[in-house]
Amino acid sequence: MKALMSLGALVGVVGLLLLAGMIFDVIPSNTIRLVEGYMPMQMLFEVGCYVLGFTGLSYMLNAMGMGIPRFWQGIGFWIFFLLYIKYRVYPPIPFSVRAMYGTVGLVAVLMWVSANEEDWKKFKQPILNVLDAQTGFNKVLRYVYLIALPILTWGFSYNVMMPKSEEPIELRTVHPAPPASTKVHGKTYVLQTSLNPYRVNTEGKYDQEYSNSLIVEQGMGRLMKPNANPWDEKAEGYLKYVREGGEIFFQNCHFCHGDNLNGRGLHAFAFNPIPANFTDPGTIAQLQETFIFWRVAKGGMGLPNEGFPWASVMPPWEQHLTADEMWKVILFEYWHTGYYPRTWD
Amino acid sequence: MGVVTRKKLFSTIALGAMVVALLLPIVMALPSPATGEEAPVAEGAQKEGEKVEKARDVYYKTEGIVVGAPAPKTTDGPADYPRYNFESRVLLWFANQQHLYYGSFVLAVPIFCMIIEFMGVVTKDKALAKRYDQLAYDFIKISLTAYSLTAILGGILIFTFLTLYPTFFSYLSSIFRPVMHIYALMFVAESGTLYIYYYGWDKMKEGFLKWIHLSMSVILNVIGTLLMFLANSWIGFMMSPAGVDEQGRYLGNIWHVIHTALWNPLNLHRILGNMAFGGGVVAAYAAYKFLAAKTDEERAHYDWMGYIAMALGVAFLIPLPFAGYWLMREVYAYRQQMGITLMGGLLAWLFIIQATMIGILFLSTNYYLWQAMGRMRGAEKYQRYIKYLVFLLACGFMVFITPHTMVMTPAELKAMGGQQHPVLGNYGVMSAKNGGINVIITTTVLSFVWYMRGNKVSTVSWARFGNIFMGVFFACAYINIIFLAIYGYYIPANVRVGLSVPQVATTLSCLFFMFTLNSMMMKGAKQMGPIEWGKISARSQYALIMLATAFTWMMGLMGYIRSSVRLFWHVNEIMRDNSPWAYTHTVGFAANVISANVLFFWISILFVFWLGSLTAKKAPVESKVGVPGAIPQPAGSH
Repeated sequence: MKALMSLGALVGVVGLLLLAGMIFDVIPSNTIRLVEGYMPMQMLFEVGCYVLGFTGLSYMLNAMGMGIPRFWQGIGFWIFFLLYIKYRVYPPIPFSVRAMYGTVGLVAVLMWVSANEEDWKKFKQPILNVLDAQTGFNKVLRYVYLIALPILTWGFSYNVMMPKSEEPIELRTVHPAPPASTKVHGKTYVLQTSLNPYRVNTEGKYDQEYSNSLIVEQGMGRLMKPNANPWDEKAEGYLKYVREGGEIFFQNCHFCHGDNLNGRGLHAFAFNPIPANFTDPGTIAQLQETFIFWRVAKGGMGLPNEGFPWASVMPPWEQHLTADEMWKVILFEYWHTGYYPRTWD
Repeated sequence: MGVVTRKKLFSTIALGAMVVALLLPIVMALPSPATGEEAPVAEGAQKEGEKVEKARDVYYKTEGIVVGAPAPKTTDGPADYPRYNFESRVLLWFANQQHLYYGSFVLAVPIFCMIIEFMGVVTKDKALAKRYDQLAYDFIKISLTAYSLTAILGGILIFTFLTLYPTFFSYLSSIFRPVMHIYALMFVAESGTLYIYYYGWDKMKEGFLKWIHLSMSVILNVIGTLLMFLANSWIGFMMSPAGVDEQGRYLGNIWHVIHTALWNPLNLHRILGNMAFGGGVVAAYAAYKFLAAKTDEERAHYDWMGYIAMALGVAFLIPLPFAGYWLMREVYAYRQQMGITLMGGLLAWLFIIQATMIGILFLSTNYYLWQAMGRMRGAEKYQRYIKYLVFLLACGFMVFITPHTMVMTPAELKAMGGQQHPVLGNYGVMSAKNGGINVIITTTVLSFVWYMRGNKVSTVSWARFGNIFMGVFFACAYINIIFLAIYGYYIPANVRVGLSVPQVATTLSCLFFMFTLNSMMMKGAKQMGPIEWGKISARSQYALIMLATAFTWMMGLMGYIRSSVRLFWHVNEIMRDNSPWAYTHTVGFAANVISANVLFFWISILFVFWLGSLTAKKAPVESKVGVPGAIPQPAGSH
């Protein structure tokens, strides 16, 4: 047990040193990268290791007679967590999300320190000591709080009320609800039921299963499956259309959406937000092909009211491409990213 | 004829009358051809010389004879939208929400009474049986005052509809005409049954009469549930109309109108929601009484009452997210746009608030259980592990509330390098959220298991094996839930939706198997000490109040979301809302109105509690004979 706790303590100390290095910019926070894409278990795992590390550290310090009071354990862990989400996670998390996480962290700490009567007494003792002010130090501290708390409250209120010159926050709806149908080049497409006419097998029949089996493999490499190379001259059906879609993509779309479809094309950083990252599991992987067709055809200008603040500069591609070309581009995007379009069967 | 026999006879007649009251509306609802006549509508339509017009059902796609007028095309003016100098929609919202709060409460509490009364009847321990009976009586007493208020609020709601939205209301009434009076009759049956049930309590407290009394509660709840189903059919029709053609003309099949695409998921969701809400309100009542109690006996009673109400509420809270998931799945299947508006578009931020509320509910429950372990000797052994449960809950909670589209300044957006955060943005999609909520629920189950064995030491020969098995089972459950959450990113969306089934199955397996195994292990277990009812921290009672408030807030929020997803339609795609208020409120405004509704409900329910306390108090249940001054010990209650 002791050995285990010592190991935990070591983990805790190393972790704290690493975090301190990141806070003071000695170690860049992307030195040990958090895995992008898919469910980021690494972050939760890391925080879990810290929790175990701190448990070990607390145990060892107690064994050495240098135990940290519960009050400071609670406050310390919360501050650690705030620093972790600010300095460890890269790219930086917006304040709104940090505020949410910070609140959850605070609630968790309070639940922990008040889970039983003994711990709760230990936790609130320093607060009661200051309020009771039985010693000179506590008396001074009480006066400091008496003066500091109203000033802090005033400062906070002033900061909130003060008119700001910075751009306001945006509650952007990235995926507004599409219309029931859309008219492109004189033809009406019902979004709930329309299908990509090029998602076909070698016999020319619509075959979702067949096309799904030929997309690139998921994972960081996104490798093509054996015998599923669209650029093979003999490729027929679905793969042939993927190739044609790819050609259209690289002639028209990759300048913004990037040659890896990750939204980081040549022109991408002229825009804010940068163009959609199709490799993110939260974009095309969540949507029906017809939704993408509608967005491609109508562009940023065709966004409905719900799409406030319409922060998209994508041109309405129906003015430049045929419906067939747009369907093929969409086919290529799903193939290249290794995602399946959403279906409702 | 002896007194007892006469009582039996009268009570049996009363029960029979209730059954008749229940069946009467159903018999009336049977189509007229059952009596050998043609349906009046068809008869009218088939009159000689009259042309029979047929049209296609918008949902069922069946053909039917047009028997109703088209949905009116309203215009903004005093004819269709008369108004006071205030937003009519907010007035209606308020009236509707208050009616719903009270309606939910009075439908849920009799179900609790039925369960608790049944527990009292089958319990062999007479002292405990009396306590259960007293508890059930306390519950129904609270609901009785609330019942009158529900009816009054229902009247206010109808008047608000008639006054502010007369054209829309008359269209809705014309569609539901065949069942409108049945609804009213059911209400009469519900009232009659409730009053006989309540006032007959003391007269039917033993033997055969008690069983009759218990049967009455079953009938009472059947009527209440049918009432709710009927009310649900209206909102189901407004969201996903059926039984009418594209112009909104009724096609003569009332079952199609009632049985819309979303009716069944709404029914299930509302039953579970009402029960959880009812449990929360009663638990808050008990918490309030506990905090105000003057004696140890009172504290013990209300502590126990709070625990039972919380346990019942949470029992229905656990499956609630799954029922909600089914409802959303059906919404997506019905109209993709509706689903996206709800969960990915305009209303997505309200869903994040909803996720926060759900998280608060489970966190409060866990916290209460940990506090409750403080009143058991022997439960100390679990205390040091609580921090790990807190960690699991906090992780699940953070994943569950992470928005897919984050609120940020343009500068933050630029620093982040795209609309979605490359690391945390992935928590914003369903796969991660399913994992998050299942981890939270499984942890709640674990807290319950610890609570159930808090003061006990198993004496069965296989106790060690049982403990190891339980530990491994829970560990495997967590691994499976997290694995499936990650795997969900690698598979097509339609398969991913189905993936929630094994996740839910894992969570429910923990619930049922672990509860069963734990009960088997704890049979004849050695008790380290009694449960000292009443000796629980005040913090636990605040957790109960928090639980109830979060329920109320969430109900208001979800009601608003469900209603506003119709956007500018009174009846989706059939009857357009042309009033000046056919727009979606800002999140802030909606949050303020919902909060005002919550506040009003709690102030008014405090008044109801106070009224309840004015009625003659029943004699408190005596403590165990031979132990003067001892606190009653319904230890077996869990």
